[in-house]
Amino acid sequence: MSSDTASHTEFHIHHDAPAVVGRRERLGVRLLIVADGAFVVGMIFSYFYLRGLNANNSWVPKGGHTLAASTGWVVAAPLIAAAIVHKIGVKSRSAATSGFVLLAMLVGGYLQWRQLAHMPFVAVDEGGRHFFEGAYASNWVVLAGANMFHYVIGTFLALGLFIRGFRAKVDPTLEYWRQLTASSWFTWIAIAGALCAITTSIV
Amino acid sequence: MTTLHNTSTHSRPIPNPSKSLITKLNMGTGLVVGVIFAFAAYYTFRPNADTADFYNQQNKALLAAMLFWSVGFLIGIGAFIGPFRWLIGKDLTAEEQLYLAGDGQGIKRYFKYCTDHKVVGIQYLVGVMAMLAVGGGMAMMIRTSLAVPGGHFIGASVYNSLVGMHGITMIVAMIIVATGPFGNYIMPIMIGARDMAFPRLNALSWWILFTAIPVLCSAWFLGGIPTGWTAYAPLSVQAGPGMNAFIATILIFAVSTAVAGMNITSTVVAMRAKGMKWNRVPIFVIGSTLSVALAIPAFPTFMLAMIQTTTDRVFNTGFYDANVGGSGWLYAHLFWIMGHPEVYVILLPGIAILMEIAPVFVRKPLFSYNAAIMGFVGIAGLSVLVWAHHMYISGWTPTLNGPFMVTTEMISVPTGLLFLVMLGTIWRGKPWMKLPMLGLFAVIWNFLIGGITGIYLSDVPADNYLHGSMFVTAHFHYTLMGAALTGAVAGLAYWFPKMTGRMLNEPAGYIAFWFTQIGFQVLFLGMFIAGAEGQPRRVVSFAAMYKYSNMISTGGAYLIGIGFIILLWAVIHSWRKGDIAPQNPWGAKTLEWTVPYPVPLENFDETPIITSDPYGYGKGI
Repeated sequence: MSSDTASHTEFHIHHDAPAVVGRRERLGVRLLIVADGAFVVGMIFSYFYLRGLNANNSWVPKGGHTLAASTGWVVAAPLIAAAIVHKIGVKSRSAATSGFVLLAMLVGGYLQWRQLAHMPFVAVDEGGRHFFEGAYASNWVVLAGANMFHYVIGTFLALGLFIRGFRAKVDPTLEYWRQLTASSWFTWIAIAGALCAITTSIV
Repeated sequence: MTTLHNTSTHSRPIPNPSKSLITKLNMGTGLVVGVIFAFAAYYTFRPNADTADFYNQQNKALLAAMLFWSVGFLIGIGAFIGPFRWLIGKDLTAEEQLYLAGDGQGIKRYFKYCTDHKVVGIQYLVGVMAMLAVGGGMAMMIRTSLAVPGGHFIGASVYNSLVGMHGITMIVAMIIVATGPFGNYIMPIMIGARDMAFPRLNALSWWILFTAIPVLCSAWFLGGIPTGWTAYAPLSVQAGPGMNAFIATILIFAVSTAVAGMNITSTVVAMRAKGMKWNRVPIFVIGSTLSVALAIPAFPTFMLAMIQTTTDRVFNTGFYDANVGGSGWLYAHLFWIMGHPEVYVILLPGIAILMEIAPVFVRKPLFSYNAAIMGFVGIAGLSVLVWAHHMYISGWTPTLNGPFMVTTEMISVPTGLLFLVMLGTIWRGKPWMKLPMLGLFAVIWNFLIGGITGIYLSDVPADNYLHGSMFVTAHFHYTLMGAALTGAVAGLAYWFPKMTGRMLNEPAGYIAFWFTQIGFQVLFLGMFIAGAEGQPRRVVSFAAMYKYSNMISTGGAYLIGIGFIILLWAVIHSWRKGDIAPQNPWGAKTLEWTVPYPVPLENFDETPIITSDPYGYGKGI
């Protein structure tokens, strides 16, 4: 391998220009999204695979305790709203929207937690053992759990962006690349939330 | 190669963040916080023996303890200081970042949350060697038990656990055996980068993996794992407390793999030196990057399977229980959607190492760089379309067996390209028969046998007979151990001077090589015979008709054991007292050989600009 003169300016990674670091971070986040996407696709595959098999005619819980199609959309809506508002904030290069994004994450997270706490399909057998009725219920709880995980990560990001903007430690214009990086994640979790909602709409 | 001074002057502050918490944290504080978290989690979720849900609660408490151990350790070693400081808007200062890079901290940095990719590479190397030693020790116990029919060297349940623990230990070790040490230490230098794209995540990937080791070991104290490394459901759902250790290990390892894969891929895509176009990237970098990039979407499905197993065990969901609408086939799908790409995640870096070695020791350009790329890409692409060949006889949709047979056999085509490149490179050359080069010849032989027997197994009628037999065990050992591990050992012999500053003891290396390779053929050719005759795998006791092949196999295993002990001695001895290595002992042309040992913190004092490919050797020596 031959190499030649270096007459340009190079910096140590920690001193790279924000735009360069930003591009790198967005690539990294998108690769993590690929991993998370494979997980979400795996969950959706599980849902439709077991639904198709309907082993022992046990897809639907014995008591017919399925959730309304709107249930998934209730928790997906804050994710979608947060992604849109964050996008607007990025376009206008303003940190003012970070408060709304944080609020959406907190409200959505609470709604998801509430749904998980009030699942209608946990039964008790004769021996007093708690169990989930049917494969639908099993899939629903894991999909909801994944949504919850997305909310937790989203809340962390939104809180960080909010605090950094609130403390005015950072100029929103200079932090633009961070907003862009976060935007990839917010967009993805909104898509994932919608995919989960579509999936659970089909009982 | 000519380089000129970099015109930038990045003044380095002297790291003295004495008041920062970072300076006070290390592996010891990690262990303390991790243990506290583990006990606190177990106490919080402790099971109540009087309830019907006792076993669920026990599983919950154990899993919580294991996962909180991991989180606690990471908190204790300082892994989350960076994210926390970002959260509150007080980013790490340049001084703190330099301190994290381990500047001037000597051997202590190996026990800290150090972000220097070279430190992480050495941590991976030592960790992998320890895992291989433990996994190899378990293999010796298995073979000793199988030396004679009805051997009672170990009990049946211990044998079961040994098979599973050996399997998962070796799989984890093999996944990181090349991309861990060499992907972290060598690769950034090879592409002319000053560091990895995400130095803190680099350290995180290692220390997350580190926390999985005691978790996996804890399985022995919790009754072992009776399922083998595949952990098929519903057996894994019904298994005892030791299964929690397996599950937690996979969950932790999957996170580590995703982080490491993302980091290596980002580094190679975004941080190559100027002029290093894709057709000038060293072939090891290409093979390893494809390998880790393949792992990024593959491992989450295994993680999902483990989460579903967990919810079945802890919350009585019914993913794998047909009584409530579940199916064991679901587990098999999720597992093998990861499982078969994982074979190539292991294999590709080992083969890529040999392609890196061949031109150097034959003094010829790599034969058809483009064919090598096509081979790697073809294998990676097809590997996600073949998973159900592991399920031919499971009864799952027999009509799809044919298509999966075709996709599996198609993998022979890109695999053939890899052979073509290796053979074409050494064709009519005058090989410099140093230790790394021996590995190339060994792999050509071993990979040929592993590949051809794989074609037998991909064939539906043949698989009906051979499935679940020792033939399968011999086949995948030829591929994973005979090809991937041998390739990684060749890589160790090749890059040892760069990573340690000393030459690997060649006579001891030669002796180790011949012991392991002869032992390997004896062990696994014997196992092929036993398998072809019908001996099932994973069975502690076998019929007398298999006694000779098993006795021969056990003899081969002891030869391998002796060979690896000699190799381990050679590595430790050479590291401490070996001959001082020159900067470029092999006369290679890739960038890692242009930097001195010890490699400077930022690798290059002068920024390289690449003007040609790395294999511009003349013909002959």
